[in-house]
Amino acid sequence: MNSNGKGKRYIYRTEGVCPAEIHFELADDTLEQVRFVGGGCPGNAQLVGALLQGRQAGEALDLLKGIACRNGTSCPDQLAKAIESALHGSLSPARSFNVLSDPEPRSRIGLIGDLAGNAGDVDLIAAGMKEKGVEAAYCLGNVTGPRADNAAALKAVRENGLYAIQGELDWRFGQNQEIPGAAALNQKDRDFLVRQPHVRTFELGGGHGLAFHGEYLQRLPGYSDYEPYALEMNMVCGLTRFMEDEEVFPALEAMLPQFTARLIIFGQTRSWGRWTLEQTEFISVGPARDEQGPAWGLLTDAGGGVSFEIVRVK
Amino acid sequence: MAESVKALPDDVQEIIDVREWDMRTRPGVQRFRELKAKSLPSVALDEELVYEAIIPGQEELIAEIQRRFQRKNAS
Repeated sequence: MNSNGKGKRYIYRTEGVCPAEIHFELADDTLEQVRFVGGGCPGNAQLVGALLQGRQAGEALDLLKGIACRNGTSCPDQLAKAIESALHGSLSPARSFNVLSDPEPRSRIGLIGDLAGNAGDVDLIAAGMKEKGVEAAYCLGNVTGPRADNAAALKAVRENGLYAIQGELDWRFGQNQEIPGAAALNQKDRDFLVRQPHVRTFELGGGHGLAFHGEYLQRLPGYSDYEPYALEMNMVCGLTRFMEDEEVFPALEAMLPQFTARLIIFGQTRSWGRWTLEQTEFISVGPARDEQGPAWGLLTDAGGGVSFEIVRVK
Repeated sequence: MAESVKALPDDVQEIIDVREWDMRTRPGVQRFRELKAKSLPSVALDEELVYEAIIPGQEELIAEIQRRFQRKNAS
C-alpha cells in the first residue's frame, strides 16, 4: 500500500488500545492507507486497513463506531474517533516529515552514518561511544540495508539506546514497500521504522542543531518549502548539492540569516566533511563502515563552539 | 530587488515581463542553478545573468533593458 500523495495524511495518538498511533489519509472524504502502528494484532489491523481502503469516511464510521475490545474502546473505535477528529478539524494533517526535538541540551553527541543493516557495527560503535562519554547517539539513516539482516540491526539499535532518523530506505521499509532483494522485515520492525523521525533537532554548545538523512524528504507527499527546516534542506540538498558546489557558497551565505539551525548534519552522501560559513556549521556524516573499518562522528561542546572529530573503531 | 523593478517607469514596464524567484523554494533554487548564478541578489535579462550580488541603479537597469529591447526589435 503506497500513498498516491493526493490526500491529507493524519497521525492519531490512540487511547486505551494496543497500537500507539493510527496513520491514515483522507482524499475527498475517502479513506486510504489506514495503518495501526506500534502494537496490537498486526494481521487483524492489516485486514481492517485493506477493507477500509477507498471507503467513504461516513460509511467507514458506521462500521467502526462503538466496537468495544478493552478499556471501553477498540482499534476500530479509535479509528472512528480519529476520522471524526479529522473531519471536524480538531486533528490537523500531519506534516510531510516528522521533526523530533531532543529534550535535553547535549555536550557530547555521537553521529552514525549509513549502517546498512550491519548489526555488528552497531555494537562496536556503541561501545566506542560509551568510552567517549557520548550522551546521545543519532543514526542518520539508513539503519537498514538492501541485503542485510535488518531485523538484527534494528534490534541492536534499540538495545543500545541509539536514536534513529529515517533514511530513504528506512522510510521505504516503514511504508511497507517491498525492496527488491531485501530480506523480509516483520511488521513490528516496519512499525518501529515508520515511527522514527525524519529530522532530529538538538541543542549543543548553545546552538540549535538539525540532523537529517537527505533529499528524499523533499519528495515526501505534502512537502512544503515553508515548513520548519525546509529552508536548510533546500539549501543543502538543492543549492549546494550537499556542499559539493562551493561556487554557490556566496548565495548560501546570503540565506544564512534566515536559517533556524546553526549546526546542520546530513548523511546522504556517505562521505565525511565539515564546512563553516558565517558561524554556521555543516557536517556530512560518512558511512558507519568504510575501507578503514567502523567509524563514527563525535560532536562536542567546545565552549561557545562545536568541535568535531571522526572516531575510528579499532 | 523586485521593488526596484516595480519602481521602473511605465514606459519600461510596458516592454518587460518580470518574474521573481524565491530562493527559499525548490523552484527558486532550480532557476538559480539554471542561470548558473552564484550570489544573491541576481538579475537575469532574457535568460542571461546580467547582475550578480548587486542591485543596479535604476538608470543603468533602464539603459540595459532598452538596449536589449532595441536590439531585439532592430532585426
